[in-house]
Amino acid sequence: MATETTTATPTAPSATTAEITPLPAFSPDLYQRAWASIPHPSLPLIATCHAHSVTVFSLSTLSKHSVLTGGHTRSVRSAAWQPPRGKVSGKEAKRLRLVTGSFDTTAGVWTWDQGRREESLEREIRLQSGENDQEAEEEEEAEDEWELTLVLEGHENEVKSVNYSPSGQYLATCSRDKSVWIWEDVGNPNPSSEEEDEEEEDEDEWETVAVLQEHDGDVKAVAWCPDVPGRKGKYAPPRRYGDDVLASASYDNTVRLWREDGDGEWVCVAVLEGHEGTVWGVAWEGRPRENDKFPRLLSWGADEVIRVWSLKEPEEEEHGEGAAGGGGNNTWGFGVPNTMRRSLKEEWECTAVLPKVHKGDIYSVAWSTETGLLSSVGSDGVLALYQETANTTEKNEENETNGEAPTTTSAGGWKVLTTVKGAHGPYEINHITWCKRYDAGSERKGEEEMLVTTGDDGVVRPWQVRIQ
Amino acid sequence: MAKSDLDNANPTVLSVSQLPSRNLAKGHVRKGPDSKYDHILFPKQWWAGSSLNTDPSVWTSDEDEDDDLTLATEEPIDEQEIYDLLSTISDPEHPVTLGQIAVVRLDDIHLSPSPAERLDPNTLTNVEVDLTPTVNHCSLATVIGLAVRVRLENALPPNYRIIVRMKDGSHAQDDQVNKQLGDKERVAAALENDTLKGIIEKMLETCV
Repeated sequence: MATETTTATPTAPSATTAEITPLPAFSPDLYQRAWASIPHPSLPLIATCHAHSVTVFSLSTLSKHSVLTGGHTRSVRSAAWQPPRGKVSGKEAKRLRLVTGSFDTTAGVWTWDQGRREESLEREIRLQSGENDQEAEEEEEAEDEWELTLVLEGHENEVKSVNYSPSGQYLATCSRDKSVWIWEDVGNPNPSSEEEDEEEEDEDEWETVAVLQEHDGDVKAVAWCPDVPGRKGKYAPPRRYGDDVLASASYDNTVRLWREDGDGEWVCVAVLEGHEGTVWGVAWEGRPRENDKFPRLLSWGADEVIRVWSLKEPEEEEHGEGAAGGGGNNTWGFGVPNTMRRSLKEEWECTAVLPKVHKGDIYSVAWSTETGLLSSVGSDGVLALYQETANTTEKNEENETNGEAPTTTSAGGWKVLTTVKGAHGPYEINHITWCKRYDAGSERKGEEEMLVTTGDDGVVRPWQVRIQ
Repeated sequence: MAKSDLDNANPTVLSVSQLPSRNLAKGHVRKGPDSKYDHILFPKQWWAGSSLNTDPSVWTSDEDEDDDLTLATEEPIDEQEIYDLLSTISDPEHPVTLGQIAVVRLDDIHLSPSPAERLDPNTLTNVEVDLTPTVNHCSLATVIGLAVRVRLENALPPNYRIIVRMKDGSHAQDDQVNKQLGDKERVAAALENDTLKGIIEKMLETCV
């Protein structure tokens, strides 16, 4: 470590050090394996999946906010918050929605019930009219603030992961049945257009728009590329596809990337090979890159390795193509017959392998959209924090101008800032995420970032991260 | 099940007296005053025993010692103890135990770091168990492996990492089975399958 920091380029800021300290765990403990904790994109809420339910914690009070229960007959493995939609004249969609993916083969769409006030009014009236007290009480207990409004059925086996596209238009689900399904939310047409009548906003209707079956094994995770400038920037592939890009990670040791072509078909545009075991997950770079370069992708897995993948930049590709194709230009429109279009494949390459820390499966890696720091957890109970070093970006650029392939196997480019051993005692850690702090202990509420880990011990623990 | 349906109709069966036990393992040095607080540091796994019928205190017990918990926990878990946990699991096809048909063998159980090296009782410890299915196409290999994994997960403290594999070359689809047994998510989902859970519970009924 010490040597690495001394060899950093002179332009790099002085050696960075980081300190990770545990904050009090969310209460109550769940006392059973918890799989994942997903922070809401804008509200101070985080949803933890455990057994057949989801417990939503408040990030302000660090305690239980609500529970989603009774909707699944087997474990809930993953969850995704509907992104804030329809920012019509500054108003965000009012309703809270959470989608859950369960081992019972379904995905559930849950809506935070706002009609509750009316109901309780009704109940009061009925109470006054002298109905059985006990019955009323039972009803009160049975009353769930979260309502399961729709069940998405179609997968043959356990649903392992669910994820919303940045606009909320699409939902991806994946399963042990080796397939990825893409669902389109058609209950709320034109979310971005002017919508006078907000009453109509919340109809639940979903259509299956794609069933992708190219993986040879369980699909463990799906993740949509975030809507950062680079997604449509000058380095983005020519516009023969829609903007949304989906990544899927599989038991077949590969990662696949999917896009919608001009005919509304979802196609696999790249297969990323390199892992020597199950790929447990994928995460996109959410922090805008310089020159609006296309976001990079992380993958990690049972081989204890974290890889960084980059889209090969199109200029280079175009150059080669132009030479080979007799100077044809690349602005193929959708009017060109299928057979004449360029290959639909995108070229992705592994541009970094992170320094090896974990001994055992890496279950989760989180990439900060604020600082660009990475953190990882796994079966060894270690929490690790990594930082990209400035000098290798330069190195990569040099390589590119020289026409050399960037070194792909070196651990260079990233360094380990710090590790915490036994972050959940002797237990395995299933998930890690960055999220904003809203608790009383934070000096910059809503801005300061912390880490949250979720473990087999049923503990959901926030961690303060201090960078110097 | 009809006899002809069995994957292995005539397994070699050892008598119980032939199986390795603590008495046969004389000269085996067991150290470990360092683990005398094990019963405090390793509380029983409150969640693991909930779905399956096992005695959660079994990892602290030892047939050579009396029932006094503090006495029993003074020595770290060794290979023999792992063997004792597993050898009494029933075969899913025959009325015999995995020890009797030598699917589980003491020599194929490895702890790392070894009991003597574990200074801190919280050290993560790998338990590697190589199984020898009775015939090399045994379709029940996965079920047996799962039962072994469940037995150990329920019986061992949470700092143990369990690796169950088919012994090299002993099974036609080794890699597939091994990968499946090493996949936490698949194991968890399998145990929510009532049929499979029923089979495994039955296999574990013979465990003391």
